[in-house]
Amino acid sequence: MGKGRGWKICLAILAVCTMVFAFGCSKKQAVKSTDTSGTAGAPAGAPSQGKEGVVTETLKPEAGTTAPSGGTSGTQVASAAEAAAGIAATEEKASPFQDVHFDFDKSSIRDDAKQSLSAVAAYLKNNRNARVQIEGHCDERGTSEYNMALGDRRAESVRKYLASLGVQTGVLSTVSYGKEKPLDPGHNEDAWAKNRRAHFVVK
Amino acid sequence: MKRSSFLLLIAAAVFLFPATSGAILYIDINAPGGKRMPVALPTFVTVSGDPKIAAVMPKVISDDLGMTALFEVIPSEAYLEKILPSHFNRTPLSFPDWKMIGAEAVVIGKVEGRGDRITVEMRLYDSTMGNMMAGRRYTGPPRQVRMIAHKFANEILYAFTGVRGIFDTEIAFSATPGRGKNKEIYVVGLDGQDPRPITSNRSFNLFPRWSPDGDSLAYTSFRTGVPVIYMRSLQDGSERALVKFGTTKSPGCFSSGGDSLYASVSQEGNSDIYRVRVRDSSAERVVGGYGIEVSPSISPDGKKIAFVSNRGGSPQIYVRDIDSLSGERRVSYAGGYSTSPSWSPDGGNRIAFTSQSGGRFSIYTVNANGSDQRLLASGDGDCTDPSYSPDGRYVVYSFQKKGYSELRIISADGRWGKRLFSGFSGIGSPAWSPRR
Repeated sequence: MGKGRGWKICLAILAVCTMVFAFGCSKKQAVKSTDTSGTAGAPAGAPSQGKEGVVTETLKPEAGTTAPSGGTSGTQVASAAEAAAGIAATEEKASPFQDVHFDFDKSSIRDDAKQSLSAVAAYLKNNRNARVQIEGHCDERGTSEYNMALGDRRAESVRKYLASLGVQTGVLSTVSYGKEKPLDPGHNEDAWAKNRRAHFVVK
Repeated sequence: MKRSSFLLLIAAAVFLFPATSGAILYIDINAPGGKRMPVALPTFVTVSGDPKIAAVMPKVISDDLGMTALFEVIPSEAYLEKILPSHFNRTPLSFPDWKMIGAEAVVIGKVEGRGDRITVEMRLYDSTMGNMMAGRRYTGPPRQVRMIAHKFANEILYAFTGVRGIFDTEIAFSATPGRGKNKEIYVVGLDGQDPRPITSNRSFNLFPRWSPDGDSLAYTSFRTGVPVIYMRSLQDGSERALVKFGTTKSPGCFSSGGDSLYASVSQEGNSDIYRVRVRDSSAERVVGGYGIEVSPSISPDGKKIAFVSNRGGSPQIYVRDIDSLSGERRVSYAGGYSTSPSWSPDGGNRIAFTSQSGGRFSIYTVNANGSDQRLLASGDGDCTDPSYSPDGRYVVYSFQKKGYSELRIISADGRWGKRLFSGFSGIGSPAWSPRR
């Protein structure tokens, strides 16, 4: 209760006040420091209360809208053939072969796939100039990125199986569409089972 | 000398004393749940140009402030004073009228439109002291009125908390426009209005990822028929192929300096994670193995990597040091299927990810060392693909239910959330931009 304690309380109050004071200053400075960001775009009738510190700012052009709307902008414009191939990638292509199907989150070849795969192998052995692209697909569950890699694994699993049947791997190519190209647009187990597939496109 | 400075401090203390009881308005951003700061946001004054702008901008600012749970915007029916152009010149606001309705602060704005330029002046006043806490005059094209409002919302948050807001950041995502089968990349602001297309090639354009400067997006496109990772400048629309090797490929995230892109690339069915130099596309494998390794997300210090691997039989989230083989650990134990990690940029070392449990997908967060796993977001559909805001205070994710899809934002503490955008199908892979 002596003089010392009173002094300490006084110091503590002062410390708090100093901090509040410093904070107030730093806030004002933060605003004012950008005051020099340019008044080039200021309208003629700029407020006379400039001392209040209204900061003028001109926005940068909005990202992404510099391209003409709807156009395929960019320095590397795709060729017409490439653009057509890009659009064709989104379309389901006819196949002379049955799709083969997979279990959820699996890429192993099921027994019920083997008949279709034998037909593909027989066709390729009899048509030496034919090329087949194996598309890997997934159902809609899970995230797009993982499914893209899973579809790749399914296509590759089919490619390896066909190679084991004696097909030259050079005539086979693979592509994954992940969950982006469902055959059945439904949202149930039936649709999902159909969409977990490898699809064969004869080139 | 000592005595005089002491007296100065006393003077300051006396001067500031009323401030501590309400005049210097200060909010601790890390202490939500307290009393909200009551703010008035009267309709802006239209000097010239489209009068709709004057109503849109306070709404955008109000929604932004609503994200913080720190402010309460007083309904406009209560306002006693009409804002006039002269309030931006010499006439002071009638602050007692604002205090009377409980407004601790007032935001006023003035819009002048001339052709393809608008100028908006906005001011934030402390209605107790009558001083201006922030003032800005922005000039830009009319399309950017919402962005201008977001920028001033940042100023308001800064004036009260000393913390910079993220209201002017944006979300990139992929979605199917109309009834097509293609997917295009879009970018939308935090108001969720009027997303602008980045691609329009009618192919599959997927997995947009921001460069650290926010000026470019890396994404996978099938626009030539095969998947390639491109890097597109949002400034001039120029674009170049960044990753061409392998079959399937998807960008994960850039290094903090922006000189490298971490991406997953499949070769012969095996997906690994590579660090690809932006300058010359040279690639080195960072995470390999027989399983599927995808979706790299880097810690803010650049030393650790979170990724998905199915090496244990099902996809799970793993964390390890980037440049050594040591310290790998699985961090997801939420369910049989965990993917799409997003490492919080705020230094808190939280990782958000998608996990399936009970047949549905939900968003979880976990510490980078695997501790303290929590459910963040779930619903009567699937919640997937979380992406942290640059301040780590929010997460954007996609919600799907039987073909319907939307983007949602939730605060990292799970207390606040809203729908950001719907209207396209197949909305997915949201990525939160860095700070502007």
